[in-house]
Amino acid sequence: MVSVDVLGFVLPGAFILYTVAMLIYSYRVFKGPTLPDMVLAIDTLVVDLIVIFMLLSLYYLTPYLAIGAIPLAAWVFLLDIYVAKYLLRGKRK
Amino acid sequence: MIDLIIFWIGVGLLFLGGILDVIAAIGMNRFNNFFLRLHAATVGSIGGAVYPLAGIALIAVSLDMPATFKYYIAGISVIAGLLIVLTAPAGSHILAKAAHKSGEVSPKPVIVDKLREKEEVSEE
Repeated sequence: MVSVDVLGFVLPGAFILYTVAMLIYSYRVFKGPTLPDMVLAIDTLVVDLIVIFMLLSLYYLTPYLAIGAIPLAAWVFLLDIYVAKYLLRGKRK
Repeated sequence: MIDLIIFWIGVGLLFLGGILDVIAAIGMNRFNNFFLRLHAATVGSIGGAVYPLAGIALIAVSLDMPATFKYYIAGISVIAGLLIVLTAPAGSHILAKAAHKSGEVSPKPVIVDKLREKEEVSEE
């Protein structure tokens, strides 16, 4: 069994990597020339947020934070479907 | 001993996912077309989220904690990773098809566009 104290040395590096990636993605969300670009960047942002939730629940050793990951993973797909229907409005009969 | 090996495999997957995620974020800003950015989005959602979620599940299983905590975290990680694996490719395909069909984005350096020709034939 691995002691919990090891997590205190390992997880902060992962937090730094994911936070940097989310900052660079959010530049595309604000700048994105068209709507599909923004939605694509939001997809990857939310997917990173799921990983950060799981890392936080490991870091603080509370399981209550983790349950938010599954609705977020489903919400990404719903966002794609809704935006696709919005783009195709009036095209289908 | 086996716990230590599982733990460090999980940490390796976690950092591999983080590095892939930063690479995908840089690619998302450097590609200059929506259809090129789809490649970066795929790297960011499969390489940047499914690998680290598998790594988090391995880390949680090998921890020295009560079973109600570690199997809960591992189960949620596996379920979220499976959801992302199943839905991220389908979602980006739906989005790409809708963007192409509605004319919202246009592929700039294009030589031949079979999909557009097919739509024009079917509309007439």
